[in-house]
Amino acid sequence: MNGAKIIFKKELRRIFQDKKMIFSLFILPGIIIIGMYSLIGVMIHQMVDDIKKHESIVYIQNMPKEYESFVKASGFLENAKVTFLTKEISAKDYEEMILEESIDLLVSFEDSFHNTIASYEKSGDTIPKVTLYYNTAAKYSQEAESKFRSMILEPLQQQLLTNRLGNLEILQVFQIADKVIVDEDKQNGQFLAMLLPYMITFMLFVGAMSLGVDAITGEKERGTMAKLLLTPIKRSEIVLGKLSSLAVLSSISAVVYAISMIIAMPMMAGDISSEGGALSVRFEVTQILALLIIMIIMVYLYVGLVALVSTFAKTAKEASSYISPLYIIIIVAGMLTMYQGGLEKPLYQYAIPVYGNSLAIQNIMTNELTLAQFCISSFSTLVLAILVTIAIAKAFNSEKIMFNA
Amino acid sequence: MIEINHLTKIYKLTKRQMRQLKTKETLKCATDNVSLTAKPGEIYGLLGPNGAGKTTILRCVATLLKPTKGSIKVNGFDTVMQSKKVRECISFLTNEIKLDPQFSAKYMFHFFANLHGVSERECTERREKLFNYFGITPFQDKKIEELSTGMKQKAAIAVSLAHDPKIVIFDEPTSGLDIVTARSVTEYLKELKKEGKLIIISTHIMSEAEKLCDRIGIIIEGRKVIEGTLSEILKETKTNDLEDAFFELYQTYNKEEA
Repeated sequence: MNGAKIIFKKELRRIFQDKKMIFSLFILPGIIIIGMYSLIGVMIHQMVDDIKKHESIVYIQNMPKEYESFVKASGFLENAKVTFLTKEISAKDYEEMILEESIDLLVSFEDSFHNTIASYEKSGDTIPKVTLYYNTAAKYSQEAESKFRSMILEPLQQQLLTNRLGNLEILQVFQIADKVIVDEDKQNGQFLAMLLPYMITFMLFVGAMSLGVDAITGEKERGTMAKLLLTPIKRSEIVLGKLSSLAVLSSISAVVYAISMIIAMPMMAGDISSEGGALSVRFEVTQILALLIIMIIMVYLYVGLVALVSTFAKTAKEASSYISPLYIIIIVAGMLTMYQGGLEKPLYQYAIPVYGNSLAIQNIMTNELTLAQFCISSFSTLVLAILVTIAIAKAFNSEKIMFNA
Repeated sequence: MIEINHLTKIYKLTKRQMRQLKTKETLKCATDNVSLTAKPGEIYGLLGPNGAGKTTILRCVATLLKPTKGSIKVNGFDTVMQSKKVRECISFLTNEIKLDPQFSAKYMFHFFANLHGVSERECTERREKLFNYFGITPFQDKKIEELSTGMKQKAAIAVSLAHDPKIVIFDEPTSGLDIVTARSVTEYLKELKKEGKLIIISTHIMSEAEKLCDRIGIIIEGRKVIEGTLSEILKETKTNDLEDAFFELYQTYNKEEA
């Protein structure tokens, strides 16, 4: 095992002695993630602010004079430029204006709107109509419609109903009281349960991918692998040394990604995170341990898979093209769990490597992981990782693979 | 001591290799029934044109390739069954096998010495001696990629000797080197010979073989066509120098094959 230790140290040294390598592998991705999410956050806030500040351009057609004081008192006019139309405009004209976004909303009251309401006596009598014309593809138009509906039409309807019935309580037969009983950690965990398995799968594999190709195919290409194979240590020790160093480096890379995302998420979410506290989840020690064990086994499998592909490839370019389909499979396996929260899964599904691990991580987030699920998921991945390691060691013994002989 | 007995190495060609070689044959015989013996305290030279099979023989001796037929014993150890023991006592260097360019020569020396189980004290002593001899000391902390071609080759030679091997195998040791560096390498090989080590080299530079080798084996198209000291070869071929001897053997071989 001494040989594996020496190779392990050398592989770590390769990265940590080189400032450029440290920057490009660990610092730059963090900066990019934080920068990217912050930029998205800034853009979202700018968009929201812009909509809030925008003075809606609203045309109201044929509004009964009786409602003028109600509209003025509603506060809608404070951030809206309202034009009361006295004569009707054609459908073609206002459709064009709304599509061109020269106006945000057209409200059209039917003729004798107020009189029809006032003369209502019994069921079957005419109910007048007010039509809202707006553009769902235009954010200003949607905002104007939403504000007009909530600030004017709905309160106006309440008031007119009160006038008609005298007391609105007559419409209420019973009350519905909501008493929500929830485990907040579990509720908050559901958000993470959707996102985290995919993110962990993705991040661990990306870390392994970038380093694995250079450590195996790169060495073959540079002619430095043969020098290593000429030493008296076992080939399995070379493989173990390389895989364990790659696992450590990939884990560091994944931790950097995770920390960057934890920093970046609130930046992007802004006000949303302060309201919901979606990211504030308390974990038990056992949950953290289970997550760590699964992640360690996963990262070992990933570096093993990348190393296996890299061993068979003759050039780094060839290795990269072989790894791409593997990358897609891993991502899809991680994504499959994103929209399956809450569904009961049969135990055998936990034995499917990568997918089973994602399921297990999902259950850890919602504190629902059973011992059987944990054991099956970890054991199957571990067995596959060991088989992959044996396959790499065998490949290292093959002159055909190592020397194209 | 190296004992090669009836070594045959056959490669299975891939479709791509068949296209490159413009052949319909699926197998290529790189060495055919080669036997030779090299003893401690001598420099044995394998001579032959490009593609003759010299490198394949040396790779088989160094345990990187397995013989298809025949066997090789290095200091009494079989290269297939006891490859670890063989690798402990040999050093193998070719132009294709390089040092990791991202590390310094000093680090590489210690790294490979450690993998061979050399103690730190012994390693430092050997490094100082070898680096001083080859003039690497002023550049020992520079990354290999920052060194000149000659210095890289000298560093590779020094590193390959880090574990004080009893047998040194060099595939074209002076190829691509300037005359000064080439001379320092050949001089060092003579030093190693004086220390009682067995050196086996492959080359196609006849003058180098004449000056350096105690015994020579000429390989043509995978077959050993002659073996002996320089005088023995010249006597048998009735020529005046090794180059003439080589061409004589080459023409005779081709006539026989035709």
